Amino acid sequence: MVNSENTKAQMRKGVLELCILSILSQGDAYPTEIIEKLKETKLVVVEGTLYPLLTRLKNTGLLTYRWEESTSGPPRKYYMLTEIGTTYLKELHLSWYELVDAVNKTINKQD
Amino acid sequence: MNKTVTINISGIIFHIEEDAYEKLSKYLTTIRGYFNKSEGGSEIMSDIEARIAEMLQGKTSAIKQVVLMSDVDFVMDSMGKPEEFADESNENRSTAENTETSNQDNEPVKKRLYRDADSKVIGGVCSGIAAYFDVDVVWIRIAMALLTFAFGMSLWVYLILWIVIPQAKTTAEKLAMKGERADINNISKAVKEEAEHLKKRMEKYGDDFKNMAADGRLAPRNTIEKIVDFLGDVLTNIGKVLLKVIGVFMVIIGIVFFLGLSSSVFGLSFIADGSSFSEWIDLLLLDGKDFYLGILGLVMFAGVPIIMLIYGGIKILFKTKYSNRWVNLTAGIIWLIGFLLMLYIIGKTLSDFNKTAKVRENFSVVQKDVLFLKMHETPIVTSELYESDDDEEGEKNYRRHSRGDNDYMIGSNKGKKYLLGHAQLNVIKSQSGRIEIVVVKEAKGANKFSATERAKNISYVVSQTDSLIEFDNLFKVNNADKFRVQDLSIIVKLPVGKTIYLDKSLENMIYDIENVTNTYDGDMVNRRWTMTENGLKCFDCDGLISVGDHINGLDEEVDIEKDIKIDVNGVNINAKDAKIKVDSNGVKIHSKESKVTIDKNGVHIDSRKQ
Repeated sequence: MVNSENTKAQMRKGVLELCILSILSQGDAYPTEIIEKLKETKLVVVEGTLYPLLTRLKNTGLLTYRWEESTSGPPRKYYMLTEIGTTYLKELHLSWYELVDAVNKTINKQD
Repeated sequence: MNKTVTINISGIIFHIEEDAYEKLSKYLTTIRGYFNKSEGGSEIMSDIEARIAEMLQGKTSAIKQVVLMSDVDFVMDSMGKPEEFADESNENRSTAENTETSNQDNEPVKKRLYRDADSKVIGGVCSGIAAYFDVDVVWIRIAMALLTFAFGMSLWVYLILWIVIPQAKTTAEKLAMKGERADINNISKAVKEEAEHLKKRMEKYGDDFKNMAADGRLAPRNTIEKIVDFLGDVLTNIGKVLLKVIGVFMVIIGIVFFLGLSSSVFGLSFIADGSSFSEWIDLLLLDGKDFYLGILGLVMFAGVPIIMLIYGGIKILFKTKYSNRWVNLTAGIIWLIGFLLMLYIIGKTLSDFNKTAKVRENFSVVQKDVLFLKMHETPIVTSELYESDDDEEGEKNYRRHSRGDNDYMIGSNKGKKYLLGHAQLNVIKSQSGRIEIVVVKEAKGANKFSATERAKNISYVVSQTDSLIEFDNLFKVNNADKFRVQDLSIIVKLPVGKTIYLDKSLENMIYDIENVTNTYDGDMVNRRWTMTENGLKCFDCDGLISVGDHINGLDEEVDIEKDIKIDVNGVNINAKDAKIKVDSNGVKIHSKESKVTIDKNGVHIDSRKQ
């Protein structure tokens, strides 16, 4: 039996970066908020995935963050897009739509 | 009822059940293990911990204060298995490498030393080393084979490495084993990267600090925590370097000691092939096997700590966290066995020195008025002496040996070996009215009986021909009797009125013979001595006193009151052979051979020789 779960997970992983950047383009957020949004759309199964990704995006300069005290817990790291991040996101958007188009066309032809 | 533990996650205090704590702690350690090698690992960790703290906070309340196992399970479920998201980060990293915008994350896989079981001959040690240094495994194997000739060193080294170096089992480990080349370029690159990394981290802390200050909501807890973190990082790095240095030292010292031990052990076994050292060992130990048992004990006793030192050093150097308690246990047991073995051999040998026995044997003397005492014409041994085997002047050499100079020697005669010791000769007054010669033999043993047997076995010859009595200068002990502090002395008992002549050859044998004139042993030879009521008195010692006057002249005291007078009349010195007189008549200096007089008649010098 071929396990389709693996392929699905790979697909999700591929677009995770795009999704995180998109969420942040709607406003600053701290990891828990990002996770909740991703969970709504079932894009993230395990939360642990998010943290290395956020750190990497921050280190590449696409994101930055600021600390905010929380009333009910540890201080929160609010992530936001940098200018580079915004440009980068636009590029990704474009290529995403191209990809979706291309994929759809391919799939539909096969049908 | 369950025990709870108090923990601090991201600055929040939690009470957590003990088993739940174990699980959570293990989980966090695993995650840390995945991330601590990657860029920003500590940051990821603190993010994850913050999230966990948040989740656990949601699970506790004023009513339910304690974190339970189910809560930890929940956290782990939503976080996911470490390998799941760690793989994710690795894959992301490889995609990031392809992205032009990012090239910061491609930290190379740190190379580590593993055993390569895929291309092994024995344990994969050589192939692992070859992979680590990126050389052909053939060279390592040749080196190992050559080292076998250097005291069989590679056998030990190989064994240690086999134990210390873990085998590369997983793919990740196999990759880490081959990793990037560990040549000078890469090492310097790694150092630069490390410095860069440190700089970046410092900047980051600075930024954090500034951000927080700018926000005007400076949280002191966090700031302090971060400073502490940063200092911690610095200290850790310094500590790492120190640790490496210590590791190198441990290995070097260990190897030096190891070479010392192995060369002495091999040396011992080599010497044990017929030199005097092995003979001495043979003479000391009860049993031939004891020598090898003793050596084995020594190797175990001294070798184990040395090997553990090298082992520890290698572990530090190659960051092998792999530890095997069986190794420690086995080492401890081997060490203990070695210790006991040495103790046993030493104890066994010493116990054979337990008791001392003296045996007196009377030599029947044909009574004479005058006896000539001398050493046997052909003194035993000299020709048989080991050290003089190829020495034509052996006899001379021997003569120069005096007591205390070389107390025991090993001699051999027709392949049979024996121990040789110096005999002593003493002369005392006889109470029985007869001349008696007593040979006193002494030896040690485990008990009185064996000591007595040994003493009896000492062979020594005294012989009389007419009025000549001859003595062996050395006594012999058979090898089988071992060295047990054997000693031998001859006591010549001389009645009053009888005379002995001490030959020059006895010079080194006579020992502290009392006599009326307190003459030294060395001066007693070549002279006749008669026993008087007061002790031995010299017969033909005319001039002995003057001849025997030692250079420093302190032997005979001068009576200052009687012999030296300095007063208003002048100076008057009366020595045995010289006189000095200064008075109103003039100056007179008399010695045995000459006379100088200064008086009213003038100066006179008389010399008998003229």
